[in-house]
Amino acid sequence: MIDVKRALSRFRRSPAFAGFTLFVFVLILNVVVQGPGQFFSSRSLNTLFSKNMPLILTTLALSPLLIAGTLDISIGIQLALVNVVSIMVAQEWGVSLYIGFLMGLLASLTVSAVCWYLVSILRLPSILASYALIYVVRGVNVLIMDKPQGQVPAVFYKTYDSLIGGFLPFSALMLVLVFAIWAYLMRTKFGRNIYAVGGNPRNAFAAGINPAWVQFQAFMVKGFIAALAGIALTLMTASGNPLQAEAYGLRALSACIIGGLGFGGWGSMSSAFFGAGFLVLIQNTVYYFFNFLYRIIPGFTVTSYWQNLVSDVIIFLGLLMTIVTAKEQREALKQGFVEQFKGGERDDK
Amino acid sequence: MRDIDKRYDAVVACRGASLQVQPGEVRALLGSNGSGKSTMVKILAGTVKPNGGQILIDGRPVTINSGEDARRLGIGTAFQDLSLIPTMTVIDNILLGNEPMGRWGMVDRRQSFADVEALLDRFQIGCDPEAYVQTLMPSLQSMVEVAKAVYLKPRLLLLDEVTAALHRDEVQLLFDVLRELKAQGTAIIYVTHRMHETFEICDTATIMRSGATVADVKTDEVTLDEIVYHMTGRQPEAEEAHDGGRIDHGKGDLVLEVEHIALYPKVRDISLRAYKGEIVGIGGLEGQGQPEFIRALLGVMRHNDGVIRYLGQEVDFHSPADAVNHNIGFISGERNREAMFPNRSVSENIFAGRAARGRLFTYLAPKVVRDFAKAAVEEYNIVVGSLKHPANSLSGGNQQKLAVARWLAMNPTLLLLDDPTKGVDIHSRREIHRILRQCADEGMTVMISSSENEELLEIADRIYVFYEGRVSGMLAGTNKTPERLAAAIMGMKRDQNGVAREAVGA
Amino acid sequence: MTSELEGRMTWSQRVQVFIQSSPARMAVIISILLFAITVAINPRSLNLSALGSIILLTLLLSFASAGQTMVLIGAGLDFTVGAVMSSAAILTTYLMNGQNGTFLMVFALAMAMGAAIGFLNGVCCVKIDLPPMIVTMAISNVVTRMQYVLTQGYPSGYASPNFINSVISRIGGFLPSLSLYAVVLFPLVFFLLNRSRYGKQLYLTGNNPTAAQLTGIKTNRVRILMYVFSAMLSAFAGMLGAAYMSTARCQIFDEYAFNSLVAVIVGGTAFEGGIGSYTGSIAGALLMTVLSNGLTVLALSQPLRNIVQGVVMVLLLIMYNRARAVRQ
Repeated sequence: MIDVKRALSRFRRSPAFAGFTLFVFVLILNVVVQGPGQFFSSRSLNTLFSKNMPLILTTLALSPLLIAGTLDISIGIQLALVNVVSIMVAQEWGVSLYIGFLMGLLASLTVSAVCWYLVSILRLPSILASYALIYVVRGVNVLIMDKPQGQVPAVFYKTYDSLIGGFLPFSALMLVLVFAIWAYLMRTKFGRNIYAVGGNPRNAFAAGINPAWVQFQAFMVKGFIAALAGIALTLMTASGNPLQAEAYGLRALSACIIGGLGFGGWGSMSSAFFGAGFLVLIQNTVYYFFNFLYRIIPGFTVTSYWQNLVSDVIIFLGLLMTIVTAKEQREALKQGFVEQFKGGERDDK
Repeated sequence: MRDIDKRYDAVVACRGASLQVQPGEVRALLGSNGSGKSTMVKILAGTVKPNGGQILIDGRPVTINSGEDARRLGIGTAFQDLSLIPTMTVIDNILLGNEPMGRWGMVDRRQSFADVEALLDRFQIGCDPEAYVQTLMPSLQSMVEVAKAVYLKPRLLLLDEVTAALHRDEVQLLFDVLRELKAQGTAIIYVTHRMHETFEICDTATIMRSGATVADVKTDEVTLDEIVYHMTGRQPEAEEAHDGGRIDHGKGDLVLEVEHIALYPKVRDISLRAYKGEIVGIGGLEGQGQPEFIRALLGVMRHNDGVIRYLGQEVDFHSPADAVNHNIGFISGERNREAMFPNRSVSENIFAGRAARGRLFTYLAPKVVRDFAKAAVEEYNIVVGSLKHPANSLSGGNQQKLAVARWLAMNPTLLLLDDPTKGVDIHSRREIHRILRQCADEGMTVMISSSENEELLEIADRIYVFYEGRVSGMLAGTNKTPERLAAAIMGMKRDQNGVAREAVGA
Repeated sequence: MTSELEGRMTWSQRVQVFIQSSPARMAVIISILLFAITVAINPRSLNLSALGSIILLTLLLSFASAGQTMVLIGAGLDFTVGAVMSSAAILTTYLMNGQNGTFLMVFALAMAMGAAIGFLNGVCCVKIDLPPMIVTMAISNVVTRMQYVLTQGYPSGYASPNFINSVISRIGGFLPSLSLYAVVLFPLVFFLLNRSRYGKQLYLTGNNPTAAQLTGIKTNRVRILMYVFSAMLSAFAGMLGAAYMSTARCQIFDEYAFNSLVAVIVGGTAFEGGIGSYTGSIAGALLMTVLSNGLTVLALSQPLRNIVQGVVMVLLLIMYNRARAVRQ
C-alpha cells in the first residue's frame, strides 16, 4: 500500500532531499538560460550526458566510501589508469578492447585494494595516504603509456555517442547500470552495514559488524564504478592519456558534499547524483550565460580561463555550504531537546 | 557471576563481586559512584573482560568476549548512552546485525516489518519507523534503545539507567513491558539510582559498594534507609521536607550567584551561591548534571535559562576565554582530554595559563618559562624527572598538581574544579586539598564538584547536592554530616510522618 | 619511553625509539647517507657548484616549508603553499619588469596578497567542518585559476637584476647568496615558534585544542593567524623563487605544496599537531633535496620519481602513525 503523503514526507527528511532541491534549482536555471527548445533537444541532452558521464560516475563511485567513513582522493587519476591500461592492453597484446576494459577493471580494483589496506588496516589518515597514492598512480600510468596515444575502434566511440531509439543517450545506460547495482546492494546486508560503520564504528562493532571488511567491500564497489568511469572516459576521448582526470578527485568530492553526503553514515548515491548533476548543469549554465553575454555586449570575450575560474569557485562555494547544512542539523538536534523538556512535559518525571 | 575481579591499572573496579538472577526475576543492581555496578554490566555485555572470576549461564561457565558473544548467549543490553547509530532509521537500528534474509542475498525487511511494528506499538513509540534516530527526542531514543534489546527475545535483559531520559508515563509503559517479559521467564537486571523504581518493579536487589557485593535483599523486605546504608556505609539522615536547604550564608562577600540555571538535558533548575574565601562543594551521584553545570558557568556551553551573577554583575560568557579573562579558573578531572598537553613539556604545561593571556608577539625568554615552572614545581611538590619531560610521563596525581599549579599562578578569583582527584593517589590528593584550603584562606573562592563523599566532607565549607539536575540539599555547619550527605545524594526527604522517602520530581 | 624501560627493549624497539625520538637527526643522517651513495654512483657529481645548488634548493624548500611547519604544528594543513608561491612569483616578475629599486613595493604587495589568501584559508578552515587539506586544496585551485585569468596564460616580466643577483650569486664560489635571506627568515620563524607567546599558544592548540580552549586560549584566532603567516611566508618564498628562475609561468611552483608537506613531516612535525620544530623541517628539506638530486643522478625517469615520492610519503605516514583501532 503506497501512502503518497508518507512517502513524500520521508523523502523530505532523507539526506538526498537537500541535493535534490539544488539540482532542480540549477536545472530550471539552465533551461531558462539555454532555452527549453535548445536544452531538451536530443543532441544537446546527448552531449550533456556523454561529455560528463566520467565525472558523474566518479562522483557516484566516491559515495560508498564517504558513507563508510573513508575517502580516496586519488580516484581521479585512477580513471586515467583504467584508460591507459585498456588502450595499451588492446594495442600491445592485439586483443579486443573488451579485454582491455576487463584489465582496466582489474587495475582499478587492485588500486582500490591498496588504498583500503593503507586506510583501513594501517589506519593512515585517508586524505594524506590517498593523496600520496596520486603520485604513485601517476607514475604507473606514464610507465604504462609514456605519451598520449592510442586509438579506440570507431564502433566503440560511435556507440558511446549515439542515441538509442533516437532519444536515449547510450552513456545514460551506464548510469542506469550503476544505479541498478546500487539498488541491489542497498537491499543486502552490505547496504545496512555500510551506514552503521560510517555512522558510529564503535556501535557497529558492538553489533557484530566488522568495519574493516565492510570498508573493503565499499572500496571494491568504488573500484568497479570508477572503472566504468574510466571506460566512459576512454570512449569519450577515443584515445589514451596517462595524465588526465586528476582534478576529478576533488571535483567529485565537492559534488558529493554539495549533494548532501557527509563523512560517514549520511547520504546516498542519489545525493551523489544530484551533486554531480548540480556541478555539471551549473557549468553548462555558465557557459550558455557567457554565450548570451557575447551576443548582448559587443566586444565581450571571455576565454576558457574565466569559465574554469567560475567552475572552481563554484566547487569552493559548494564546500562552504556545509556550514549551512551543519548548522541546520545542530539546530534540529537542539530543538529536539528543548521540545522534550519545555513543551513536551506531560507531568513531571 | 562469581568472584569477579577487574582492575584498570591502579584502580580496582570490582573485587570478588557476585551477582545472580533467575528466570522471571527482576533484580536491581544498586550502587553509588565507584561501586563497580557499571563494570559488571559491561562485563556481561561483552565490552569489558574481567581479570578473574566466572560467569555461568544455566550452570555452565561461559566467556563473553564481544557483543556478538553476549547476543548469542541470549543477553540483551540497553544503555543510557545509547548503542544506536544516529544516522540510521529506527527500524534499521532495531534490525542491525540481525537482518532477515530473503532471496539472492537481499535483506527482506518485510518479513520483520510486522514484528517491528508490533514491537514499536508495544512500547508506544509513535514515530515513523523510517525516521532517523538522531531526529527523535531523547526520551524516544531511549525507548528505541530498549526496544532494540527486547527485539532479540533475550533470556537475560540488562537495563543500565535507561529511565534517565524518560517521562513518567513512559517509565510506566516500560514497566508494563518488563512485567510481561518477567511473566515469560526473562531474567532482568535493572541498574538504577532511583529508589522508587527499585521498589516498584524489582523483586530483589544486589547492592555493591567499592567494587564488592555488600548485600542481596528482597525489595519487599527492606527499607529505603537500609538500602542507602548498604550503598554508602552510612545511616542516611534526610532533611525535613520544608527545609529545602534555602539557607545560603557564607562569611565573605558574594562572589557568584546562580538562579534557576537550566542546560538541557542534564541541568533542570539549579540555584546556588558562593562567597569569598570559602570552598563550596558540589556532590551527588554521577551524571546528575554537575559537569554540565560547571561548564555552563565557564561558558563552554550556553545555558538555556536562568541568570548567572558574578561579582555583582550579570554575565553570559561566550567562551572559556571570556571566563578566564574575568579571573575564573577551571581544573578538569578528565586530564587527558581537557587539561593536559601530553606531548608538551612540563614547564610549558604549567605556563599554559600565562601563555593564554598577554600580548601575542612580545619576546618571551625561555628563562621566564623555566623559572615560573620551577617555582610552581617546588611550591606544589610536583614530582618530575626534568622540566623538559613531556607531561604524559608524569603520574596521574602529579599531572593534576600540574593543572592546579597552572591555575593558581594566575590567581583567579573563582576556581572551578570538576572531579579533580578522580584516579589520583592519596598523597597527591591530600596535597591538592591542602593547597585548596590555603587558597581559600587567602581569599579565593573555590567550587569543587566531586563524586567522593569523603572528599567533600573533608574539604568543603558548604555542600550543594545535585539530584536529577536540581539541588536536593544544601549542607552546612552542623548539617554537614555523612548521614545527611548520604540521604541527599539519593534525593531523600523526610515527609510529614517523618518517614524518609525519595523525592520524586522534587 | 622512560629510561627504566630501555634495559628491556628488543633491538627493533631500540631502532624505533632512535628513529622516533629525533626525526630531524634521522633526516640529516639519511641525507648524508643518500648523498654518499649518489657520489659513489657518480663521482663527478661531487663538486662545489653542485653542492651549492643543493644548498640553494634546500633553502628555497625550507622557506616554503616555514609556513607549513607552523600550520602542521597547529594541527592544520596548508595546501595553498604552491599556489601562493606561484602567484607571488608571477606578481614579482610582472611588477618588477626588470627594473631595479622595486623590491620594497613588490614585497609589500606580495605580503598583502599572502595575508589575504591566508586569512581566507584560516577563516574557511575554522568555520567549515571539513578537513583543512580539502578546503585549502579548493582554495588553491581558485588561486591558480586566477593566475590564468589575470595573465591569460602568459605571465610577463622579469625579476630585477639586483634581486636576481641577491639570490643566485655565489659567495666564495659556492654558497648561494640566498643564504643571507635565511639569516633574516630563520630567526624570524624561530622567534614566532619558540620565543613568542603566540608560538606557545600554537603548540598548545595543536596538541590539545579542547584543553587549550579551557585554558582560555582563543584557538580560532591562533588558527587563523597560522594560516595568514603561512601564506605570507609562502609569498616571500615565491618572490625568491621568481628571482631564482628569473621569469615565471603559471603554476610554476605548485609542486611545493606536496613537497613542503613531506619535508615538514620528515622533519618530525606530526600530522596530528602539537609537536615539531622548524629545524626539523629544514633537515627534512635537505633530505628531500638530496633525494631529488640522487634521483636525477640515477637518471630516474619522471614517472619513477613520482612513484618514489608517493611511496616515501606513505612510508613516512606508516612510520609516524599514531592512530588507534576501534576495538580499543
